[in-house]
Amino acid sequence: MKEHYRKLFLEMAIIVIAAVTIGVLWNFRLLCDAATGKLSDTKQQPVISATDGKSMTPAPLVLVRELFEKKEALFVDARESSVYSDGHIKGAISMPLGEFETTLKDLRSKTTLDSPLVLYCSGYGCHDSKSLGEKLMADGYRTILIYEGGYPEWKDAGLPVEGAKP
Amino acid sequence: MKPKTRQYILAALRIGLGSVFLYAGVLKISDPTAFAGSVAAYKILPYFMNYLVASTIPWVEALCGLLLIIGYRVKATSGIVAAMNMLFIVLLASTIIRGLDIDCGCFRQGGDKTSAWTAILRDILFLSVALTLFSARGERRFSTR
Repeated sequence: MKEHYRKLFLEMAIIVIAAVTIGVLWNFRLLCDAATGKLSDTKQQPVISATDGKSMTPAPLVLVRELFEKKEALFVDARESSVYSDGHIKGAISMPLGEFETTLKDLRSKTTLDSPLVLYCSGYGCHDSKSLGEKLMADGYRTILIYEGGYPEWKDAGLPVEGAKP
Repeated sequence: MKPKTRQYILAALRIGLGSVFLYAGVLKISDPTAFAGSVAAYKILPYFMNYLVASTIPWVEALCGLLLIIGYRVKATSGIVAAMNMLFIVLLASTIIRGLDIDCGCFRQGGDKTSAWTAILRDILFLSVALTLFSARGERRFSTR
């Protein structure tokens, strides 16, 4: 009986190790980039061209940072205005979900429907950016990226912010 | 229950569970970066580990799914699937306790949000099927071994 369980455990270990090895080899490049903090190969990332105009695209920090550095997208903060005032991504405009109607006019004057927008809120547990994205898609905006890491991840990464207290 | 009927039921459960896991694995393999985001949403692992888990777990799911479908090493494979489901249930319960309102990231990434409660109920079902297969003896119908 003991021998039987030993064999069973060995089989389970072999299956798991085989799958993990394949996974590591398959994603080797991605893992190397993640380990060195680079993750800058845009071929592996959803890029603006990957947006299909019909759905929102989740965007990781590396892509969002690139868009920020190249000034290729407008950053939109979906959090409450008071939270926005306490610190936000540099250059981001405030568009709280509750004030959508009033802030939309302002957004329309600054952008076209094809302008790439990066929406964010308070990180992975927050859904305001997605809800805002749905409203903007309904309004006709076609290139919407959801930065799920949000302000906390951006700030932790030491990237440029405005209005934050020291 | 007739032994033959029992074997057909076990084979259906095995192939059903295998298909679910193969499907879940392949969806995540196709977009490891998005899945890493889902893993990160649980706020348990440090930055790099999210990518490591997102790169490997889907392959374990897919390989176990495939082995269950073809019926090779069913006992070992259903044991792994049962263990994974137990882990998923604990992780999902932790999101409820910590008040995290996140998508479970179980299947398609970035799709409609599945609540933790729904995911837990689903995982309990998968766990019971996996444990049934694990404890079954001599199921050989449509099986390579």
